[in-house]
Amino acid sequence: MQVQLGIGAIVAALFLILYAIPNWVSSPSNVRNIVLSPLFWPYILAGLTAFVGVGLMFSARGAHSEDGPVNPPIEDPGKGALRLVAMAALMVVTFLVMPWLGMVWTSMLAFVALAFLVKTRHPVAAVICAVVVPLVLYAFFAHVASVAIPQGELVRLP
Amino acid sequence: MSLIDSVMAGLALVGNWEAFLSLAIGVVIGVVGGAIPGISATMAVALALPFTFPMAPINGILLLLGVYKGGIFGGSIPAILIKTPGTPASSATILDGHPMAERGEAGRALGMALWASCTADFVSNLALIFFAGFLASFALSFGPPEFFALILFSLTIIAGVSGESLLRGALSALLGLLLATIGLDLVYGTNRFTFGDPNLMGGLNFIAVLIGLFAIPEVINMVWHPTGHMGKVQKLGSKWVTFVEYKRCFRSIIRGSFIGVFLGSIPGIGAAPAAFLSYSEARRKSPNKANFGKGEIEGVAASEAGNNGVAGATLIPLLALGVPGDVITAIIIGAFMVHGLQPGPMMFIMNVDIIYGLFIGLILSSGILFVVGGLAIRGFRPVADIPKRILMPMVLVLCIYGVFAVNNNIFDVGVMFVMGGVGFAMGRYHIPPAPFLIAFILGPLLEDNFRQSMLMSGGSPDILLRGPITWVFWALTVLAIVTIARGTLNAAREGN
Repeated sequence: MQVQLGIGAIVAALFLILYAIPNWVSSPSNVRNIVLSPLFWPYILAGLTAFVGVGLMFSARGAHSEDGPVNPPIEDPGKGALRLVAMAALMVVTFLVMPWLGMVWTSMLAFVALAFLVKTRHPVAAVICAVVVPLVLYAFFAHVASVAIPQGELVRLP
Repeated sequence: MSLIDSVMAGLALVGNWEAFLSLAIGVVIGVVGGAIPGISATMAVALALPFTFPMAPINGILLLLGVYKGGIFGGSIPAILIKTPGTPASSATILDGHPMAERGEAGRALGMALWASCTADFVSNLALIFFAGFLASFALSFGPPEFFALILFSLTIIAGVSGESLLRGALSALLGLLLATIGLDLVYGTNRFTFGDPNLMGGLNFIAVLIGLFAIPEVINMVWHPTGHMGKVQKLGSKWVTFVEYKRCFRSIIRGSFIGVFLGSIPGIGAAPAAFLSYSEARRKSPNKANFGKGEIEGVAASEAGNNGVAGATLIPLLALGVPGDVITAIIIGAFMVHGLQPGPMMFIMNVDIIYGLFIGLILSSGILFVVGGLAIRGFRPVADIPKRILMPMVLVLCIYGVFAVNNNIFDVGVMFVMGGVGFAMGRYHIPPAPFLIAFILGPLLEDNFRQSMLMSGGSPDILLRGPITWVFWALTVLAIVTIARGTLNAAREGN
């Protein structure tokens, strides 16, 4: 795990130094002192990240494989991975649908979807909560905190 | 303004039922949140933050401080009753608390946890009141080089002690600093990693990042392992803690409180190491040391005193220097910012009424915690019975509303989801999230003070070592790195 982390840190640092910083950080041409340039800080941080990555790899070299931290096992890692993919999809869909469907209705659907994704043993309570919680939050934020909660294009709430 | 005037100004701010109610509601939310395994004190504070937006600044901050203090105590309830710490700070409480619960003495253990927590909380609040003003007046003489050295020292400590290794902590802090570079450059106003998107020009929203890092990974963990939270709740039993037992443990409680105060006032160390150190000191000095780990009530008292002793002290660097002492105070700094306040030495001059209002509120919070904690111990069973597989979808919805409410921007919800994925991956690779968040908050401050120093000196790095204050911070930074690295190497050698 430590070696993977070290490699990841070095790859990320190289990507930053060779591609991301030169292309995605702009600096005025009249900067007199390099330490005041907008590029200086990102380069320093990327260099330190590479240094830490090398350190992680070196420290992993002498250690036994069982020395590192271990994640607790779960009974169904295959299904667990599938659930993670479904959760990622749920987050993407929630983000994309929210402007069109509105925050309240999207939240209700996301609540139900998540409750069933984690196999709730209380489906009726989950559905009731899925309706009530977003409505209560809407009432608080829209009418007490004066936040313009996105209403969407389908059904508008008072 | 004299001390009496300052106290009166503070009283005028908090001497009303709204302030008292905010504090009490905060403590209740904290105790309940801390008592639910999976909803840590950190998550409870993060989730409560958006609800403080419409409140008066002092009431909003008092509510969050109540959540913080309640959450730290609340974490001891599941630690004792179901051997699952509600917050990481309660891990040491399990060592003796759960064996007592297995013997049918959970009520006694919880009673002692409450008494020790309230005592330590009170001591910690007094330390805050005595030292914060002194430190703030000292910090008024700090310029950019001093602040740069101080922030660097804080980040070093946070990176070194937050996780399982210095390198993992350093990687986490560097990722946080890199993320903080997104947005317009502080001096020239040019784009850094903005891709021309106006949403990124002001940098990533701090609240979206923190809720993404600390709340969403819990939801994703639940998805990964839906039955991981199951545990057997022990009965309270008929025995309750007595004043004689409190008196017997008093020395350990006071020692633990001071350990908590000392470690809490150093930015980055936090409550869990304080609890373990207090526990090990109590075991070393106790005549009943053989009983420690088998259900010794003094062990519960010491660990709870250690972790609650931190609660007020972490506010010392926050209020006096503007540097958060741990993750929770990093969230609370967000509340200050949302309400247009900037913690730091100038706050003791510009907003002295708020400072003293907070002090008064904090003293009150120890009493409120005593009452609410006593009720929570008896009412834990319904809290433990809340189905976590309904609670987590609720957390998700709360996060969506809360993050959106900060800037009325759906883009922030997307940032939160992405950070949730990052937080989950960091958890799988045992990279501590605390250095990431604190580095993300302090990153712009660190860079700004560095560049101001360079502007002052015309680019000469000598200014970073211009006087005794910077020398002390640089020496402490080097000392911290050497000590942590030596500790890591020794541990590795012992492992081999």
